[in-house]
Amino acid sequence: MSELDRRTLLTAACAGAAACFLPRAAGALVTPPVGSVISGEELPAREASWYKRLPEGRVECQLCPRGCQVADAERGGCGVRENRAGTYVTLVHGVACSVHVDPIEKKPFFHVLPGAQALSYATAGCNVECKFCQNWEISQFRPEQVRAQYLPPETLAEVARRNGVPLLSATYSEPVVFWEYVRDTAAAGRRLGVRSTVVSNGYIQEQALKDVLPNLAAMKVDLKAFSERFYKELVRGELKPVLKALEVIRASGTWLEIVVLLVPGQNDSEGEVRDLSRWVKRTLGGDVPVHFTRFHPTYRLTNLPATPIPTLERAWQIAKAEGLAFPYMGNVPGHPGENTTCPGCGTQLIRRVGFQVLENALKGGRCPQCSREIPGVWS
Amino acid sequence: MSREFSRRELPLILGLGALATRPGVAAVREPGRVAVAKLPPSPGSRTLDRAAAGAALSSAITAVAGGPIGALFRPDDTVGIKVNSLGGAGMSPHPELVEALAALLRGLGVPPQRIIVFDRSSRELQRAGFTIRRDGGAYLCHGIDNDYDSEPSTSGEIGSCFARLVSTTCTALVSFGVVKDHDLAGVSAGLKNLYGLIHNPNKYHDHNCDPYVADVLNHPYVRGKLRLVVLDGVVAQCHGGPAWRPDATWPLGVVAASTDPVAADAWAWRVIDAERARRGLASLEDAKRPPRFLATAARYGLGVGDPAAVKEVLA
Repeated sequence: MSELDRRTLLTAACAGAAACFLPRAAGALVTPPVGSVISGEELPAREASWYKRLPEGRVECQLCPRGCQVADAERGGCGVRENRAGTYVTLVHGVACSVHVDPIEKKPFFHVLPGAQALSYATAGCNVECKFCQNWEISQFRPEQVRAQYLPPETLAEVARRNGVPLLSATYSEPVVFWEYVRDTAAAGRRLGVRSTVVSNGYIQEQALKDVLPNLAAMKVDLKAFSERFYKELVRGELKPVLKALEVIRASGTWLEIVVLLVPGQNDSEGEVRDLSRWVKRTLGGDVPVHFTRFHPTYRLTNLPATPIPTLERAWQIAKAEGLAFPYMGNVPGHPGENTTCPGCGTQLIRRVGFQVLENALKGGRCPQCSREIPGVWS
Repeated sequence: MSREFSRRELPLILGLGALATRPGVAAVREPGRVAVAKLPPSPGSRTLDRAAAGAALSSAITAVAGGPIGALFRPDDTVGIKVNSLGGAGMSPHPELVEALAALLRGLGVPPQRIIVFDRSSRELQRAGFTIRRDGGAYLCHGIDNDYDSEPSTSGEIGSCFARLVSTTCTALVSFGVVKDHDLAGVSAGLKNLYGLIHNPNKYHDHNCDPYVADVLNHPYVRGKLRLVVLDGVVAQCHGGPAWRPDATWPLGVVAASTDPVAADAWAWRVIDAERARRGLASLEDAKRPPRFLATAARYGLGVGDPAAVKEVLA
């Protein structure tokens, strides 16, 4: 993983969109200079795209299934959207707190341009609160609590293009909460020939999802479990809307991969893994890659051990037995479960160790032995 | 063998007794008791007469503490006074009242640098009329400004990083709130004000903030340090909160104090519902935002949560 240094970003930023200054007042929207460091309370504000006005100056967010009804001066559950005198604003459009260049395998996408780099970006905030969040230091904080830089969509796209990075990836925290930024970055990237990917929890309302999907090359969704209990107790979210989002993504033609983090004793039973695999096969199709990844204790869930590797292997085998063509294991570097194998003839197609691609035998997206087409975004 | 104590010795011994108990929520002196002193707003001005503010605050504290402020604090305390400045200059504690509390603490012997008036951000404090002071002056005044613990700690359903002012710096806390309606919590008085101690309050507004408000209060950092709640009810707001909404305010004309933080909020609930009834508005219960967290806090043993059981004492 390499980090773009500040000089590179600022240089590119200067070539990006011009800054727009508006006075700050009740309800007024402000935009800081491109590339400026943002900390404390001076956040840019832009009217949100998915909400409706309610009586008495209240608003209802229509971005995520929480549907927060927010009074004046208050924020939604995500902490990044604020009601300013009846206008709902996002405080994170262009406010990037993390920008890195990662291998696309880190997301993980195993069927999207293997070995390619992705300019990855995130803002503060999240619409759920997973007790096992790996990135809680940005996802569970408000934007004014996290150091960030103003990098508008055109700047990110231009930085990627100029550096020969073929992909943009909204990731790390939860892109749903910065969905306008994702939308506009994806559109800017498309104009410059840089494709966009999103790594999300899939906890989003259908219309908002549909509005952005056309500009996305791929989405990875964390299906955190296959029980509402898990979503309620450990995620503070709901399973049902996530399943709906998966269906919408699959139907749209945007490439989809799923990650299931197996948490010991919480979502790793044979029955739950089998039910999940069957649902994916029946509803989305057997060609959707499903990554079973290893949990490590963190944040508020430090009393559980890391997922035993045999648990991951069992899930991997169950998924295969249920007819999923591309199950994977994650966070187990060097395990054969990281490799892509032809479901037709069993030929090993892509060999990986961790985020590194050691060998890619695909020929034009097909198996070199049996010529079976392997689904994905290969070129 | 026993002996009688002289008048000179007795206060000293009583003072030492107070030190030994180190009051916090766990040692509420008179559960359910809320002292109320009259303090009408100044006609045509938000500024309060300092002498009147000081007298009202002092009498309310004396009435609820059963003696001077020394019954609640001691000279070597570092006292954090958490004000609720979200409502800006229109609906935040009057600086004159907060300064009167700081003066009482100084009078007890707490040095100015160990009296810290704070809220989430310096900017909000400034908007509410406070002067930011990180050094010098009669007391310090500044925002938390993102100075939180590096790791979250858990209390019931909440998992939050607390302000280091609360976890580390202060030995005693005062919640200095207002009396206002809150769109989700029902009431924002002394307890909802405590959301400003944690880094992620936005996560805890479901179900009328229950049990989350009670869980913040029940965290050892708060439960063990909160000695006093003061509510600025010079002007109160019965609808449209938490933002300031002038047409929903009325001159309640009091300052209230309690060592029972739950009872203070229950009193505020009673007052707000009475004004709502007078205006023909639905009760908070009927408006589907009763402050449910009060019953939870009472169940935790943190105070009296039933408005009908609160004993209002005129100071």
